[in-house]
Amino acid sequence: MKVGREIADPSVDWSGPGVRSRRRWRWSEILWALIYPSRTQRVMPTVSGIVLIGLALGIGSAAYNAASNILFITLSLLLACLILSGVMSWLNVRGVCWRLLLAPPLRAGQEKPVTLELWNRKRLLPTYGLWFELTARPVPAGPQRPEATFRATSGEIRAAFTRFEQSTAATVLPLRERLDPAGRTQLDWVFTPSRRGRVRVELTSVGSLFPFGFLRKNHGTQLQREAIVWPAPVEYRSARTAAPGRQAEGGRVARPGAGNDLLALRRYQTGDSHRLIHWKASARLRQLMVRQFAAESAEGFFLWLETPPGSWPRTEQFELLCRFAATLAEDLFTAGRLTGARVNIEEPMAIRRVRDLESFLDRLAVLEPEAENHPPEPSRRAGGRETSPDSSTGFPAGRNRRNVITFAPEGTRGVAAYVDGEKSATA
Amino acid sequence: MERNRPQLSQDELQQLRWLLGGILTLISVWTVWYLEIDAWVLTGITTGAVLLTLVRPGLPARLPPQVHKLAFPFIVTFFAWDLYSTAQWLPAVIRLDILLLLYRGCSYRKKRDDLQIIVLGLFLVTAAGVLTVSLEFAVQMLVFTATTLAFLFVVTLAETAEGGRGLLARTLGGPAELPAAQMSGPRPAWTEVRWRRLARRLREVADLRLLALGGVLFAGVVAVSALLFLVIPRFQLDGSFFLSRFISAKSRTGFSESIRLGDVIDIQQDNSVALRVDVSDPARVPAMPYWRMVVLDDYRDGQLRTSRRLRNALTLNAQTTSLVRDQLRPPAGTPASWTFYLESGISRFLPLCGPFTILRFREPQQALHQSELRIVALRNEPVTMTAYRVEGMVADGFVSDRLFGAALSRAQHGAADGRPARPDLDEKGRPRASYPLTTLLLPEQQGDRRALQRMVEEVTGGVSFSAVEFAARARGWLTQKHGYSLKVDLPGADRDPVVAWMESGQPGHCELFTVAFTLLARAAGFPTRAVTGFKGGDWNAYENYFMVRNSQAHAWCEVYDGGTGWIRVDPTDGSAPIGAGPQDQAGEPAGLRQPDRSWGARLDSIRILWYRRIVSFDQRTQLALVQSLKETTNRFRAALRATFDGAAASLRQWLLRPWDARRALGWLGGAGVAATGAILWWRRGRAWWGRLRGSRAHGGADPVRGEAGRWLRRMRGLREAKGDNQEVVAELLRLRYGPRRSWAEPRAVFRRARRAAREWSQRRRSDRLFGR
Repeated sequence: MKVGREIADPSVDWSGPGVRSRRRWRWSEILWALIYPSRTQRVMPTVSGIVLIGLALGIGSAAYNAASNILFITLSLLLACLILSGVMSWLNVRGVCWRLLLAPPLRAGQEKPVTLELWNRKRLLPTYGLWFELTARPVPAGPQRPEATFRATSGEIRAAFTRFEQSTAATVLPLRERLDPAGRTQLDWVFTPSRRGRVRVELTSVGSLFPFGFLRKNHGTQLQREAIVWPAPVEYRSARTAAPGRQAEGGRVARPGAGNDLLALRRYQTGDSHRLIHWKASARLRQLMVRQFAAESAEGFFLWLETPPGSWPRTEQFELLCRFAATLAEDLFTAGRLTGARVNIEEPMAIRRVRDLESFLDRLAVLEPEAENHPPEPSRRAGGRETSPDSSTGFPAGRNRRNVITFAPEGTRGVAAYVDGEKSATA
Repeated sequence: MERNRPQLSQDELQQLRWLLGGILTLISVWTVWYLEIDAWVLTGITTGAVLLTLVRPGLPARLPPQVHKLAFPFIVTFFAWDLYSTAQWLPAVIRLDILLLLYRGCSYRKKRDDLQIIVLGLFLVTAAGVLTVSLEFAVQMLVFTATTLAFLFVVTLAETAEGGRGLLARTLGGPAELPAAQMSGPRPAWTEVRWRRLARRLREVADLRLLALGGVLFAGVVAVSALLFLVIPRFQLDGSFFLSRFISAKSRTGFSESIRLGDVIDIQQDNSVALRVDVSDPARVPAMPYWRMVVLDDYRDGQLRTSRRLRNALTLNAQTTSLVRDQLRPPAGTPASWTFYLESGISRFLPLCGPFTILRFREPQQALHQSELRIVALRNEPVTMTAYRVEGMVADGFVSDRLFGAALSRAQHGAADGRPARPDLDEKGRPRASYPLTTLLLPEQQGDRRALQRMVEEVTGGVSFSAVEFAARARGWLTQKHGYSLKVDLPGADRDPVVAWMESGQPGHCELFTVAFTLLARAAGFPTRAVTGFKGGDWNAYENYFMVRNSQAHAWCEVYDGGTGWIRVDPTDGSAPIGAGPQDQAGEPAGLRQPDRSWGARLDSIRILWYRRIVSFDQRTQLALVQSLKETTNRFRAALRATFDGAAASLRQWLLRPWDARRALGWLGGAGVAATGAILWWRRGRAWWGRLRGSRAHGGADPVRGEAGRWLRRMRGLREAKGDNQEVVAELLRLRYGPRRSWAEPRAVFRRARRAAREWSQRRRSDRLFGR
């Protein structure tokens, strides 16, 4: 029971110095950590800091040269100010924790807020002047290759770095206002994923110039969130002869939708409308039950994507395929006419609820051309008909498939969708 | 719950930054008031301009851009001209510093300009501290540090509140922008200041607890800096003080080689403390100490001088040293140690009240020592407080000088080869008697000389006396004829003013008495010289030291006794013994007399603490401190051990006392109660404390969370059960720990929990009943 486990331990998801560690620190360890920060902490002097250090050195040498206690006093005060700066900086960050909130769905080309929630768990002291460096970079698809030594020219390395930087979005979120004791606040970063796939949003470091701007302190963090970016929607043209929007014929398929017929009762889930609660059933079963209605349309379409690399040699065209399939799937689902979907020879999935559609879009987000796992014969040429679909997956069984939408390249750039072998739309 | 405090807006932060920058500029510039550098006009202009722009921050925007373009060339030109015309580096640099502060204080600033104000101010404050070594430096440094820290704090907050654009630029490589810090151009929005409103906002934003914490942290800074000051290792590098080379100071003329009548009286008008003396043995301080400083052997036309030969002799003896040895052999027993703290602006001649063994400076000095005159002087007028320690000094009114008689005879009758001593030349190049003949010099006019001879006749009655007898009679004659008064109207005539005064019978002050006695004694044939310095002092009962004020400046005479040396004669004070040493002086030593317990003495004791503990802190003191710390630790350890031993002995005795049943039961009962209390605390108290702390940590006790916690504890067994009850448990867990937005309606959850608990207990009862 994941929810229960997360709630029982309130520090789940939160990270930062404010998260209470079960580890018992010794005083010596704390002192040593103050003197020699851990590797994740980086402290660099600012211009003010360099001036202060220069002043301290100059005054120190003059004090020794002149044996003047006035200069020794000044030197002591400068050093004490540096120590105070460190102590106040430590107090400022202490007790602060943060977490990244990244609510799906993400879609390529569309803005999405990433929320950084901050919580000051100190009882007395507010927190000032932190900044948070966030990056979002795509996660390479497939297994990571082990590190290897390879040769490359400096130009190639620069180009690789440029590509990496271009694919990486980064920002600095400043905490402009005071964060009061026991207070919480949220900082939003609106970023736009450039392409579909997995994206990793990472809080790379938390920095501060507090309190006097002598030192730039950066606390490295391990906080990251991964999310799936769905393909961007694309405009497509329907062919009148076999458009997916046509009214289908045949038997009814029982699947949930927004119709008027009661399909079933199910348990209440957070977010369900209270109007849907079936009070009688709830009272009888002693738990909240909601009504589920059947879809209006009786018959729908089935999407089938086949991605052999030979068919999709061009990357842009393959990207277009994913976008096209995603757009089509959403349109059909909205119209209540999507029964299921399948990728290559993977298990067909029935799409009855929003969650099913999201799973399919998740799959499309990470879809890559695959040499294996595709049928030996392109299905667009096997557009047979079937009398009754498989009730669990919605996938037409047997040789006589019906209302199956397949895709194929059109020209060098376009992609065409076929319904039972007939071209129905192009993108 | 935490009160929702408002936050300062970006404009308000900028206004606060402007205010603090102005205050910092003023604090820095005002150091010049006690630095005694000729920059009063510049300081006044800066003060006025900064105050004006503080009140009206919009004014800098009205200045044409050309002003900002020409400012830097103007400042550089001014500095070059200043340096060329005065040829003094340090004053010129200080004036340059003030000019830069004036410009920065009156123009809109970027962060680096704020930093510049801090650095320029620090230079001024430190230079003033180093050049004056005054206690005011400590106060000013503390104020400066506190203001600087507040200023930097606000600058950092303002930069963050600006949105960290500069920050973003530095981090990601973009362009940096600081819009509020334009040097000229359109007037920034924040300059529309309403100070009353800002003060009200500051009051709203302020949190007393945080202000108190800030105060504690600042006290911590002071404490840490004090600790660092003590532990920073000191090395004696024998370097001379670098800043003092670039500045010169002028002391008062009353304690210089040339004084006019009335100069010492001018000093007496000042009641501030001029000299502080720490004496290891207060009994060694005589009842009325004479702090001897300058010897003036030449008198002419109402002016006392140190003759050129004596000055040259002093100059020839100059050497850079931290140690001066006098002719006195170390006395038997423990010699007294006298530590002198002579304020700046008094004199380059160091006050001493008798012969000594060794004089040590805190740092090497260019010192001049003339043992015959018993004078120690610095080559230049000190710009700082001068501290020196004198070992084995014996307060004495007699200056031994066995060579003087021979020298005088040689000067009077010519050298062995028959050549007369070479005379000095006065300012006009005319030949003039040189030392030691100057000690017999009389006014040039014959009328004055005749008058003096007549007076000598009156004093002696034609009888020949020894020097001491003559001194007593002459002093008596003078005090009988003249009263004491600080206000003197000298008869204006072509004659010598002192001779005229002697004939007038008017009251006079110490200088007139001194010169009059000098002339009388010389006219009687006794070599005599005038001495200036201080007489007397007050014992500070708070810190046990001797305070000598400027108002105790004095002049007196020394008469040659004809064979061994010079006898002190104070013609002003008829009761003072002539040439008396400490053993001869009547009365209790000054260190043991009625001490000064006034508020002035209390305040002055802070200054001596500053001199003792801070200014005079050196390697030797540091080692002594370590030694003292070690001894204290040892004493503490010994005391602790003795306490433990005593406690162990008491326990042993207690145990060995006869035990009866009542005593044993009583103690067993007490031990049982203590053990029960400990167990209860261990079992319940710790948990209670943890809950209390936990609830505080979550922002106070929440009744819903508390109730959920109680239900969860009650349903501990139920939580392990499978089935629908898990949902109730999950709801309770959410109420206990989860965010509020995830909560279901709490009453409904508690109802379900109650029902589930009831069913579960019924089930358990039935299970027990049927033996399942």
